[in-house]
Amino acid sequence: MTTDPEIVSALKNIPWFAELKPEHLNRMVEAATLRNVHAGEELFKEGNKEDCFYFVVEGRVALDIFIPHRGKVRIYTAEPMDLIGWSATTPVIHSRTAGATVVQPGRLVAFNAEKIRQMCEEDHDFGYLFMRRIANIIAGRLMVTRLQLLDMFADPDSESSHA
Amino acid sequence: MHNKVLNINSSITLPKSEFDILLASLRELGYQTVGPRVRDESIVYVEVEKLDDLPHGYTSEQGPASFRLISGGHNRYFDAIPGAQSWKQFLFPPRAHIFSADKIERWTIQPNEEKPPRYALIGVRGCELAAIEIQDRAFLRTDFHDPVYRARRERLFILAVNCLHPAGTCFCASMETGPRVRGGYDLCLTELDDVFLVEIGSELGRDAVSRCQYESASGFVQSAAEKGLERAANEMGRTLLLDDLPSLLTDNLELEHWNEVAKRCLSCANCTQVCPTCFCWDAVDHTDLLARNTSRERVWDSCFNPQYSYVFGGTTRSNIKSRYRQWLTHKLGTWKEQYDTYGCTGCGRCITWCPEGIDLTEEVAALREEIKA
Amino acid sequence: MIATNIAPHYAGHEDRLLQPDWAEVVKVIQEAEGVSTFWLRFTDPEIQKRYHFAPGQFNMLYLPGYGEAAISMSSNPETMDRLLGHTIRHVGNVTKGITRLKVGDVVGIRGPFGNSWPMEEIKGRDVIIASGGIGLAPLRPAIYHILHNREKYGKVLLIYGARTPKDLLYPNEYETWRAAGIDVQITVDRADETWDGQVGVVPMLFYRFRIEAQKSAVLTCGPEIMIRFVIYEGLARRIPAERIYVSLERNMKCGQGSCGHCQIGSYFICKDGPVFRFDALEKYFNVEEY
Repeated sequence: MTTDPEIVSALKNIPWFAELKPEHLNRMVEAATLRNVHAGEELFKEGNKEDCFYFVVEGRVALDIFIPHRGKVRIYTAEPMDLIGWSATTPVIHSRTAGATVVQPGRLVAFNAEKIRQMCEEDHDFGYLFMRRIANIIAGRLMVTRLQLLDMFADPDSESSHA
Repeated sequence: MHNKVLNINSSITLPKSEFDILLASLRELGYQTVGPRVRDESIVYVEVEKLDDLPHGYTSEQGPASFRLISGGHNRYFDAIPGAQSWKQFLFPPRAHIFSADKIERWTIQPNEEKPPRYALIGVRGCELAAIEIQDRAFLRTDFHDPVYRARRERLFILAVNCLHPAGTCFCASMETGPRVRGGYDLCLTELDDVFLVEIGSELGRDAVSRCQYESASGFVQSAAEKGLERAANEMGRTLLLDDLPSLLTDNLELEHWNEVAKRCLSCANCTQVCPTCFCWDAVDHTDLLARNTSRERVWDSCFNPQYSYVFGGTTRSNIKSRYRQWLTHKLGTWKEQYDTYGCTGCGRCITWCPEGIDLTEEVAALREEIKA
Repeated sequence: MIATNIAPHYAGHEDRLLQPDWAEVVKVIQEAEGVSTFWLRFTDPEIQKRYHFAPGQFNMLYLPGYGEAAISMSSNPETMDRLLGHTIRHVGNVTKGITRLKVGDVVGIRGPFGNSWPMEEIKGRDVIIASGGIGLAPLRPAIYHILHNREKYGKVLLIYGARTPKDLLYPNEYETWRAAGIDVQITVDRADETWDGQVGVVPMLFYRFRIEAQKSAVLTCGPEIMIRFVIYEGLARRIPAERIYVSLERNMKCGQGSCGHCQIGSYFICKDGPVFRFDALEKYFNVEEY
């Protein structure tokens, strides 16, 4: 079991948590557990329906998508301060769109998504701050995905006679 | 015979019959005399040896996409406003061999060691002289001198001519480059019906006329020339307001009007070829099949050339709108920031020789209108 | 307005047109697929002695019969034996032709051209070097400069990414750089089975660090779209536009601000750049096809 002060000090490394009001932070910590993870540990599979999300405190977690004939394709890695499993925070719960595997050992803070959603419902001030954070995280993810899609380093068809 | 000592900045009158002696003196001094001649229903700049080689009695009627030479109606030699060619071909030749590189045992370079030509340009108008001075700023800088340009420019003799009868696409008055020639010449003449009024601009100019039979310029001749110039300044084919340039162009890169002109422009590059100030060039390499005897050539290029902006991955200006915009915003916009002068001298060639008749004075006015609206 | 750190500019060639000096290929290092570094030395030892460059400058490399290519120097300007390293991506006629050169062959050099990374101006600051793909090549001399003068700079973060792990340049140097006090963060767009490092694009790495905007400067070079997002992320973190330095690329022919090809707005990239302060470029940057 992990105690609250450990979780608090782990979260304080993440700027958003460091700026939260104490009452918000404490309520979030009540819905959290601290997990040590080792390399190779599978956090969740594609299709899982667990109702939690994780903030990475230390280590690295990779997201993979399985493509028939190609196998698991790594699409993203989450580093300290990043969030994994944001889909659990949105109103409609659906299954995980990617699998998460720990690549470098470390620590994660896992949050009970239902409790956090309830906090948002009861306290709209908190809800706004939380959803704004989620929106920023998703925006960043979208940017990464778009740039990966644009394949900015790829060789276009080369035309002749120029260096 | 004369008994006057010629001073620089003094004026003389030269009977038209003496002009051939002037040309002959120049050739004896080692110059190739080049000037306007009628050829193929247009006016080209080629070798001229006598006054009668010039477009005697011709006028050019010019408008958007239109050039007509009309013969008769007067007796003058320098009245026909020039055609597509400009003097830039003599200082900045369309093709210039720079060096050969050959591999015998090792690679060695043979730079082009041809003696640079000495040109005497006969009949340089105000807009054209201003254009030469603009190209001087591009090719002769403190950090870099173009050696091809410099060699020809150092050896250049300029016989300028004041325009008394501008043509339909002229707007040198707006650009303050004419019709009166402003400095920078060896000789400057104003053609009246019977005589040339000649202003001496340099020692070279003075030497060139020294064998001619001239008179001192009478007050009557000088005032006739003045009146002619004043009248000419009011007979311009077009005007271009400069007050809000360059920022009118450099700050308005996304106006709707750019799309409008893009529909008409063919990106044919005519305007850049006929323009006396356009200086873009390309380096072209030639080789034999074994890549042992190679050469480098410097050739004219144009920002309308689709490959002009090619980098690996594509061209940065792949559509006509962006290329036209580049040309105009450079010519009347960023050029000023680069060289402290506009890139346009109001000669009107780009208007006359554009197959679509695109008129940059109208384009600037249209952009101005769009902003006001 | 523009980065002002200008090194000696092509001394001795002020009035030579397109004429190179010959240099010998001393060694060739394959860096990644389609990318290699050619180490050159002028055949004339006087020229070799006189030649100096600053980080960020480039040469025009001349292959007789093919033409020229603008290639940034990627080597240390201050090393003792001073071979000139040129990391080249072999994608066009000239750069593919260069792959046929062997040790001992000669190639023409004109240069150095351009201005340089503002190593003086950013002294004392935290430096974020954000680069992708071949863009690390013109930044490597800046990294070497920092290594030589480490105490003159604050925190230094190198963010570097490539398409796949195989495309990463100079991987055997990352540990040396880390040991010298540079935080080296590597990422790839697409992983392969061997990769357990970060996956994600270069601009994403801005999210992963605490940046003190008022102390920081950014040096960036890479595909233009990556640059655009790096600038976006830098500005979003309130790093001022005048401390974001960008190295741009356009079609270059003369390298001397004469032929006109490399213009963007009133700047000639070969002469007023290739390194620019973003505040000088802002007005042109988002105009499509300018």
